[in-house]
Amino acid sequence: MKPDPSHPSLLDPKVLARLGTLHLRVRAITEGVLTGLHKSPHHGQSVEFAEHKEYAPGDEIRLIDWKAYGKFDKYYVKKFEQETNLRAYLVVDSSGSMGYRSDPRLLTKLEYASALSASLAYLLVRQQDAAGLVVVSGSVRSALPPRATAGHLGPLVEALAGVTALGPTDLGAAVDWVIEHAPRRSSVVVFSDLMDRDERVLRRLAQLGRRKHEVTLFHVLDPAELDFPFEDPTLFLSMEDERRIEANGRDMRKGYLELFRRWLEEVRRAALESDVDYVLCRTDTPVDEVLLPFLARRERTAA
Amino acid sequence: MTVGFAHPALLFGVLAATIPIAIHLFFRRRPKPVPFPAIEFILRARRETERRLRLKKILLFSARTLLLAAIATALARPRIEQAVSHAAVLAGPRATAIVLDASGSMRYELGGKTLFERAVSDAREELLSLTPEEPATVVVCGADPPAPEPLSFDRAQVRRILDRAFAVAGHSDLTTCVQAAAQALSASRAQEGLPKRIVIATDLAASAWRLDVPAPTVDSPSGPVRPEVSILDAARGEKLPNHAVVGLEAEPDPAAGPRGFKLTVTLVNHSSEKLAELPLSLLVGMGPDPKTTIRSFTELPAGGAARKSLLQAFPTGGTAAVQVVTPGDALALDDARALVLDVPRDVTALVVDGSPSPVKYRDEAYFLEAALTSPASPVRPHLVDVEGLAREDLSRYEVVFLLNVRSVGTKAPDLQRFVENGGGLFISVGDEIDPDLYARELGPLLPMSLHVEKTATSRVAGGVGAARFAEVDFDHPALSIFTGEAREGLLGTRTFRYLLARPRREGPQAQVLAAFDDGAPALLEGRLGKGRVLLFTSSVDRDWTDWPIRTSFLPAMQRFAAYLTGGLEHQRRVATVVGERRSIVPREGETLAALVGPDGRERPLAELERTGLTRGAEGMSWAPPEPGLWQAKVSVQGEERLEPRLAFAVWPDPRVSDTRRLDPAELTAWFGGESHARVASDARPSGGRELPLWSVLLLLGLAAFLAEGVLIS
Repeated sequence: MKPDPSHPSLLDPKVLARLGTLHLRVRAITEGVLTGLHKSPHHGQSVEFAEHKEYAPGDEIRLIDWKAYGKFDKYYVKKFEQETNLRAYLVVDSSGSMGYRSDPRLLTKLEYASALSASLAYLLVRQQDAAGLVVVSGSVRSALPPRATAGHLGPLVEALAGVTALGPTDLGAAVDWVIEHAPRRSSVVVFSDLMDRDERVLRRLAQLGRRKHEVTLFHVLDPAELDFPFEDPTLFLSMEDERRIEANGRDMRKGYLELFRRWLEEVRRAALESDVDYVLCRTDTPVDEVLLPFLARRERTAA
Repeated sequence: MTVGFAHPALLFGVLAATIPIAIHLFFRRRPKPVPFPAIEFILRARRETERRLRLKKILLFSARTLLLAAIATALARPRIEQAVSHAAVLAGPRATAIVLDASGSMRYELGGKTLFERAVSDAREELLSLTPEEPATVVVCGADPPAPEPLSFDRAQVRRILDRAFAVAGHSDLTTCVQAAAQALSASRAQEGLPKRIVIATDLAASAWRLDVPAPTVDSPSGPVRPEVSILDAARGEKLPNHAVVGLEAEPDPAAGPRGFKLTVTLVNHSSEKLAELPLSLLVGMGPDPKTTIRSFTELPAGGAARKSLLQAFPTGGTAAVQVVTPGDALALDDARALVLDVPRDVTALVVDGSPSPVKYRDEAYFLEAALTSPASPVRPHLVDVEGLAREDLSRYEVVFLLNVRSVGTKAPDLQRFVENGGGLFISVGDEIDPDLYARELGPLLPMSLHVEKTATSRVAGGVGAARFAEVDFDHPALSIFTGEAREGLLGTRTFRYLLARPRREGPQAQVLAAFDDGAPALLEGRLGKGRVLLFTSSVDRDWTDWPIRTSFLPAMQRFAAYLTGGLEHQRRVATVVGERRSIVPREGETLAALVGPDGRERPLAELERTGLTRGAEGMSWAPPEPGLWQAKVSVQGEERLEPRLAFAVWPDPRVSDTRRLDPAELTAWFGGESHARVASDARPSGGRELPLWSVLLLLGLAAFLAEGVLIS
């Protein structure tokens, strides 16, 4: 069924941009995504025994360990520690270039990445996966270790909401941080425009794969970066340093688009070679069109 | 071979070629600053495309500049000119006399410029080509007799003469001017040894030349020789088609109604093309905005003439001006012709009925009143009987008709004063008249003394033996309208009884305008003081004559009324041809303050005096320089006003309208053949010695335009 243009979806970036806070955006996204999502592929996950506790009124009777009662003649209640399916690190690029939006009705790349990552965190936690956050620009600006509790979502969304686009891009710092802090196989989801001055950024991401981490790259780009709609003489200013260039948009378009197309192909090829799951996100694309295929892929992988 | 331009003034447009550069330098848009994340790619794209973009920008500038320059230059109509020299060009310095044709035909417009402007430009170029060792002079051939300056090395002086020159509205005699130039060349003894050359800048209008006189010669140490002649054709060999109004005549025409005139226009067509429906308008009025009263069309055969009659009735009497206008062609000078008319004023007449009758047709005044009150009549009669005459104030009338009045009684002195002061008196007789009593009362007024009654025949005889008019003075203004068959209406009149008249013993003798076939005077004119008296020796009813029922009676009576008030003498005004002197005679108490020309510009008296106004015993005279309607402004007791009575029309010289060109070969032959004379640009139509470049430039501009489009896309 085609969407009704008179009633735009809540997942439309232009609608999301009108929602003032990240909390509202996350709720809108997750509600929309959940309506189209299958049940969790991790249904019936294992639960590990943690310790016994002496029964006290109020405890559930079904949790009384009758074997222990036979041994010790006392009522003990079993306490369990839930085992998570997935430990995910959400790496969000907050460099200056991520603050770009070509149309005031759209989200900036950082806002789009934040909405995506927060929504993903919500969906992961909802299915008992742990989600952590790494905000990076020139270095790791803030980080939250992965947790699968619902209470963890609040600080995570708060951390994302407080992020401002600033400074240069250095995804390598995030890679180092994940390698250092992720003790076992984890999922690393990177949201970045890859405008990194270090051209080896994809090789750095590939290091994570070599350490058995599952890496997904959400390459967030503004439509103007992909289409270059400039016509008139324009003074282009760098968003991460002092570089500037005066050029006629009409004259530059052909060369720019050719270079950009080659770069995107190179990024895709490098991602494929490094076993990095690559998703190109235009900030004018509804968020569900990005998230649902990603989640479906994960469902297939888990099955 | 030189590059020339048909419209060199338009070359200023080439400056438009600087517009792209000026826009780039001074009106460059400030680029809009835009933060952009992928600036690295722009920098790299810039590095890769910089050279190509710079080349594209240069090509774009060049295309735009070329586009504008090509169009601007093409508008100036450039051409490659190859002057063909038929004459043996003498080497070394020469004495040159430039003859500049300033006749009315040089006002012909060709390609946005008048031929005169082209001729001046040609003369200037000729002057520039002279070396400092070559003396020169200029003869401006206008309306005035040529008065060339002596040969001079002072180029500035010659240029000043060229700068001051203008094309007059009249005719010029180029033959005389060329001879004057030859005399000027011969007159300089200091340059006697130099070869002589005459350069003539003209339109080659045949009407300006007289080739039946000997060609000019110049003096040389070896005797008179023919000078070298260069003729610069201002028309560049093109034909000069022209149509013109060359005649306008006005005649009163009762068929057109009261104060009606028939205007006969003569038009000529000096071209090889027939003008099928040439519009023709009649404008009436003297003000700046005359009213168009008639729009018409006429057909003008190629190289022929046509006449067109227009009927125009004027609502009021007095001085009126009309102009016949055809659509303006390249020579606007002769497309209109004006005429000033004296339209008959209303004449107030007192008709004294000496024999009234209750039976209308038996009334003495019945036929006369009917004649004077007919629709086309300018006469406004007031009818009274003899008793009523005594009560009338004669000063209210211009003419008095006494119809079979037995006695005017005490009114006789008033009548005499009335006539002496300029009033008109018409007397007809009948049964009531006593010649002796008339002699006593109206003696000084009667042109001749009335004598005895003569009966030619009786009415019952059926007209056999009736007297008829004979010896009629048809040249007299009062009777001149009877022409052709119209005379039959007068000469067929049968008169049965009339009074004999005999000349007076003393005083001025009467003029017999018509006599009966027995020699007895029938219509007599006498004068007293400023006034006139007409005496008809028979009756104006049917008792004594059948004239009242003849067709000639009505126009005759109306003409008599007009003549007696002096309304027929000034009806035909003569227009002046440009250059002729025109008399301007203000009345006593009036002083000429200015003349207002056809262009609406007022020429005050001081300017008129500077331009040749002379004063004589019969007023002033002046030669108006432009054709059209001229009005006079007079000052009366310190107050200035336009006086219509003094308005006059000026016509262009018909010779100016004849723009048919002289065969260059005929002219060069007159000057002594190709060894002595050459005509520049005379062979362009057949020889192709002028190559137009504008089409090439337009193609170049088109190519630049397409290239610009390709570069932008």
